[in-house]
Amino acid sequence: MISHLLGLLRVVAASFKMQAKERATNQFFIGTLLITPIIFTLLSVGSYIYAGKTNFGLYAVIGAGMIGIWNANLWTSGRIIEGERRGGTLSMLIAAPTPFPVVLVGKSLSNAAASLISMAMTFATGLIVFRLPVDIANPFAFIVSLLLTLAAMTSFGLVLGSFFVLTRNAGAFIEVTNYPIFILSGLMFPLTILPLWLRPLSATLAPMWGNLALGTAAGLVAGNPWLIDLYLIGLSLVYLMIARPLFAKIEHRVRQDGSLEVF
Amino acid sequence: MSAIVIENLGRNFVTTTGTIRRTQKTVTALDNVSLTVEPGELFGLLGPNGAGKTTLTRILSTVLLPTSGRAEVLGLDVVRDTKQLRPRIGMVYGGERGLYWRLSGRDNIQYFADLYLVPPEVSRKRIPELLELVGLTDRAEERVEGYSRGMKQRLHIARGLINDPDVLFLDEPTIGLDPIAARELRTVIADLHKAGKTIFLTSHYMYEVDALCQRVAVVNKGQIVMMDTPAALKQLVANLEVVEVECLSVSPEAMSRLRAHPRVEAVHVDNRDQIQVLQIQAPGGVGYVPEFLQLLDGASIQKVVTRQPTLEDAYVKLLGKDAISV
Ligand SMILES: Nc1ncnc2c1ncn2[C@@H]1O[C@H](COP(=O)(O)OP(=O)(O)O)[C@@H](O)[C@H]1O
Ligand SMILES: [Mg+2]
Repeated sequence: MISHLLGLLRVVAASFKMQAKERATNQFFIGTLLITPIIFTLLSVGSYIYAGKTNFGLYAVIGAGMIGIWNANLWTSGRIIEGERRGGTLSMLIAAPTPFPVVLVGKSLSNAAASLISMAMTFATGLIVFRLPVDIANPFAFIVSLLLTLAAMTSFGLVLGSFFVLTRNAGAFIEVTNYPIFILSGLMFPLTILPLWLRPLSATLAPMWGNLALGTAAGLVAGNPWLIDLYLIGLSLVYLMIARPLFAKIEHRVRQDGSLEVF
Repeated sequence: MSAIVIENLGRNFVTTTGTIRRTQKTVTALDNVSLTVEPGELFGLLGPNGAGKTTLTRILSTVLLPTSGRAEVLGLDVVRDTKQLRPRIGMVYGGERGLYWRLSGRDNIQYFADLYLVPPEVSRKRIPELLELVGLTDRAEERVEGYSRGMKQRLHIARGLINDPDVLFLDEPTIGLDPIAARELRTVIADLHKAGKTIFLTSHYMYEVDALCQRVAVVNKGQIVMMDTPAALKQLVANLEVVEVECLSVSPEAMSRLRAHPRVEAVHVDNRDQIQVLQIQAPGGVGYVPEFLQLLDGASIQKVVTRQPTLEDAYVKLLGKDAISV
């Protein structure tokens, strides 16, 4: 029992590591992780400063960082299963004795960890280009919130990745959903600008709560970061609960329909 | 206990075509297939493209569910007992897919060692052994994308052996390999058989099955046409002689005239670049060569030879016009 559990943990670690190795050789992801966050920071902080709202600087940096994290997870974790399908390794993973979701968790976690680079890039850009001071009110809560945000993003990525491979339209979905999710999560400008009826939609999105948790921890938004962290944990669990039947559906598609093969 | 037991196995695929007016089509990939393979046997499944070889291999390796019938591997049901069965079998599909191209050969094997829950102290010893077995020790640290087809295929085999499986499924392992690489791979397969593994091999190369397998099942359109030893298969055509005629253009009329000749049992046409090679199977065929050539009047005949029948001729005889050129 314990050795089996250790074995599964080893699978998570191995999947984490091999995903990192694969990512390191992929220039597209390097661009997503390093370049895009810088551009978003320049755009976002730049427009606030131009509008004379310099006190929004840190808000914009965090938002751009969240965009970076979100983007990285969407493009990497959202496409894991699709990538395995195209590479012909999906059925190998299904045939292996390890449950397929364990592999996915390892790979998605790896991407989430790498997406931290995006956050680091936005802070660095803010500091170097705009000389924005990094003035975080509650650093400990900030770090915990960041980690929980990554957990929620990972779980969200698992849902999206399963959804994409089941609908066979990952590319189009990513293009269409990417910007609305930035906006609905308040990553570009505060949510208060949006009409009220959009709030329930925003409340289902991991990036919006992550952004809020980081904002409160940084002292930019009034509120208790720990409460929002609790919400992030709950949200992650909900995502995982949604992901479970989707994983089962994928396995079903492979084994029952034989329709996830590329010839 | 038999290593593999298959009873009345069937598999259909439902495919939909068209976006607006969607029409469903059912393809029968396997139709009432039954066979058994004994422990330690090297069993061959021989058939043309689309015969159902991959479908059967996928079902036996638990990746696909049958539509009807049942199959057991090592006494375990391939549908229900996947948890116990998966750690004990290995599978290798032909072709270049199914590997992580951006990773090194060693990383690929190491990853599957972890996926198969092979204890680290075991895999530390086994991985170098497997790399040695398939002759990739010197190239193990290179990325797979730089490998030749033959190297990828050998890496596949090493990967499929990482859990030291009792039964190994090899689906057209030598497909697309040059003759030398294919021969090297066959040596590896023969060695594995000597080491006591039960091997289920599919192929559409007659020669391969003849050289490796103890028993062979010929499948066509999802059905088993014949099952016996390669020698018995050859016996099918023992009394035949084969007349090979190379020509430039044979008309359909000439072909039907030829097929109607009372002595002719089968005619198979190989299209090779600019020329067509007719393989005419006929008992005592040598004596009838002049008659055959007369029937083929106007076909620009280049060369005529007579030869003893091979396993390939048995295959042609069994499958008739479904046999494809190899
Ligand atoms: N996933 C699938 N979806 C639809 N049809 C399939 C699928 N897999 C195989 N088939 C069909 O089943 C038949 C047998 O295919 P296959 O088992 O791949 O044959 P072989 O491996 O002998 O070439 C073919 O007609 C093929 O088109
Ligand atoms: Mg095949």
